[in-house]
Amino acid sequence: MDFSLSEDQEMFRGTLRKYLNHVGGTDVAREFIKGNTTLVDEVSTGLAELGSTAIPVSEEYDGLGLGPLDLVPFFEESGRVLVPGVQAETLALAVPLLEKYGTEEQKKKYLPGIASGSITVTLAWLEAGKSYGPDEITCLARQEGDDLILDGVKMLVPHGDVYLVLAKTAEGIGGEGLSLILVDQTEGITTRRLNVLDETQYVVELTMDQVKVPKSQVLGAVGQGWDVLQEGLLSFNAALSAMMVGAMDEIVSMAAEYSKIRIQFNQPIGRFQAIKHRIVNMKLDLETARSLSYYANWAVENQTADREAAVYSARSFTTEAFARLAADNIQIHGGIGFTEEIDCHLFLKRARYYQNYLGSVRKSRERIAEGLDWSAKKSERDVVSIG
Amino acid sequence: MNFTFTKQEEAFRLELRSWLEENLPDGWKAGNRELPRDKGEYSKFLRQWQRTLYEGGWAAISWPKAYGGREATLMEEIIYHQEMVRIQSPPLVNYVGIHMVAPTLMQMGTEEQKRNFIEKILTGEHVWSQGYSEPNAGSDLTAIETTAVKDGGKWVINGQKVWTSFAHVSDFCFLLAKTGQSEKKHEGITVFLLDMNQPGVETRPIIQMDGKQEFNEVYLTDAIAYDSDVVGEVGKGWAVLIALMLHERSGIAAQVFTLERQFDDLVEMAKQVKIDGVPLVEDPIVRNKMAGLYARIRGALLTYYRNITHTLKNGRPGPESSLDKLLVSELTKELFEFAIAIQDHHGVMTEEDAISNKSWQEGYLSSFGVTIGGGTSEVQRNTIGERILGLPKDLGR
Repeated sequence: MDFSLSEDQEMFRGTLRKYLNHVGGTDVAREFIKGNTTLVDEVSTGLAELGSTAIPVSEEYDGLGLGPLDLVPFFEESGRVLVPGVQAETLALAVPLLEKYGTEEQKKKYLPGIASGSITVTLAWLEAGKSYGPDEITCLARQEGDDLILDGVKMLVPHGDVYLVLAKTAEGIGGEGLSLILVDQTEGITTRRLNVLDETQYVVELTMDQVKVPKSQVLGAVGQGWDVLQEGLLSFNAALSAMMVGAMDEIVSMAAEYSKIRIQFNQPIGRFQAIKHRIVNMKLDLETARSLSYYANWAVENQTADREAAVYSARSFTTEAFARLAADNIQIHGGIGFTEEIDCHLFLKRARYYQNYLGSVRKSRERIAEGLDWSAKKSERDVVSIG
Repeated sequence: MNFTFTKQEEAFRLELRSWLEENLPDGWKAGNRELPRDKGEYSKFLRQWQRTLYEGGWAAISWPKAYGGREATLMEEIIYHQEMVRIQSPPLVNYVGIHMVAPTLMQMGTEEQKRNFIEKILTGEHVWSQGYSEPNAGSDLTAIETTAVKDGGKWVINGQKVWTSFAHVSDFCFLLAKTGQSEKKHEGITVFLLDMNQPGVETRPIIQMDGKQEFNEVYLTDAIAYDSDVVGEVGKGWAVLIALMLHERSGIAAQVFTLERQFDDLVEMAKQVKIDGVPLVEDPIVRNKMAGLYARIRGALLTYYRNITHTLKNGRPGPESSLDKLLVSELTKELFEFAIAIQDHHGVMTEEDAISNKSWQEGYLSSFGVTIGGGTSEVQRNTIGERILGLPKDLGR
């Protein structure tokens, strides 16, 4: 029994934290919000130079060939200071799928660039007025010889260099006939930046008008995109959980530190049980989230039978807890917590964004139930009827 | 990260399992896990079970071999709890004696105390209770009012104890009493090994809201103890108390695994019970809430594993055990509340009128004790706030 990150992983965390503090912590996010992207570009390069982006890429393609658990320190530390960007989408969704389903050509084209930090990949899934359900995709990828012609509009797409577009390549229900297609920035693509609550996100509406891509850009088998995506979402959601844990950890520190220095009624407010116990409840949520996140990443790394329940337990619990903590943090800070001056609001907005990003708590919980095989048919005993 | 057990640990588990199959009480094996209701029979049954454990070498596995233990590792203790919960073994009547009193005596008792008590704790001949709480001193033990006054070679003890678990079946009590006044609240308290079978000790049962009787009021009227019954130094009982608490290193494990099993039972109940023709487990709202509860219980269990890892690496448990205690006891309460809430109108019916053989209603009532016993949730929150988060102490402490 050893339920902890390894010494190497913790050491890497230390390096990252030192670096991110050195470049100003949440200043990176604040500059980004102001429209100044110089600092975030510099930090993205810095993080890549430290090896972060090479972690999950296999050695054959200039990576380090490590796994989801090795990414945990990176995601926690990025989450702690709310670094803007699509590292989770690139490293925890695109990379595992490219490694497993990518053709040799696709791997050569994308993986070394991802490893060096020069290529980011995001997911174009949702459509206007639609849900994340499998029957909601209208974006069409028409086959024309060796090419696919894409038409459609995707919403809430994080800005990246390459888009993993979920599109219809054939008729079908329940995810049948959907394909995941790697779409580079090319002719026929226009983007419009969307206004979103979390201003640290660069999110676009992506319009594809007769976009022509070779068929060889399909990731995994044609028509199997839904299943491929579900697999990628396991590692993505595990990573996202780690990112939220990092943010939650910072929130608990902020709240605890503030309660020690803020004096009211001649006492530090942390002495009052109304405040103290609230912060302890935040700490309980944090530690629960951290345990679930570590286990989820371990389960993905080891492809365990319970990985679906593990990942969605982490994702659903952490998503809710992050929002709760961010709100509590504002309450504990009082008036100043409601201002732009300190970071409370940045965390709240990030939490709100993740709550409905690429899924919902309700759906995640359904995935837990499915993952655990909760069905009356599975009962070995007789059914008792009432009502 | 590694969740596997070593070969030795698995061998230990199998050895225990096969021993249990041979030695569990007859009714237990047949699925009848009722304890006798009669006080005398109850005591006899549980003492016999401890005797059986002792004879098999399974009564005090973490003790040194010299005292009859196995010098079990922390992981073996955890496996022991897992297995005991899995087969729902009868409770250990002498939990206080085995996990707290004897290890404390081994560490700071006199040779005479070791000789007189330790073996009898192991065999179940002496059952122990702990006499800490009083009507005006529950979470704040420094406020105890029971006094022990020196009178020649003996100590005369007067006062009242409350919430004394197993006092009605115990032979000795690990008793806290005031032996002096001091400016410092933790001073002037002494620990006595009090003989319960004497005229000055009167035990009155307290009936719990679930109808059970596990604890008692103990009235002390000129009860007698001797110098040889003092543990550690006179007036330094607080240090003894702290030492004792540190011995209970795997204490929370049984509760963690019990919670896990109770959740499995809940899922099974939700598979079996239909409301308006729909099995509970397939009702979207029940399913959603149950999945939410699952995630939190799973989180508590995993947090326990993380804290165990910390203990294994540091060689001693830290304040994190308060975190485990708080999470597990609060979730136990929620689990039972949820279990009967989803039973619709049947949720209010008990015993043979309840809808499943397992009485969720009884468990629901019992669950209110878990966030109080062993330190209230509020006290645990203070501990976590002050010792883990470094928040300032409450005024007056």
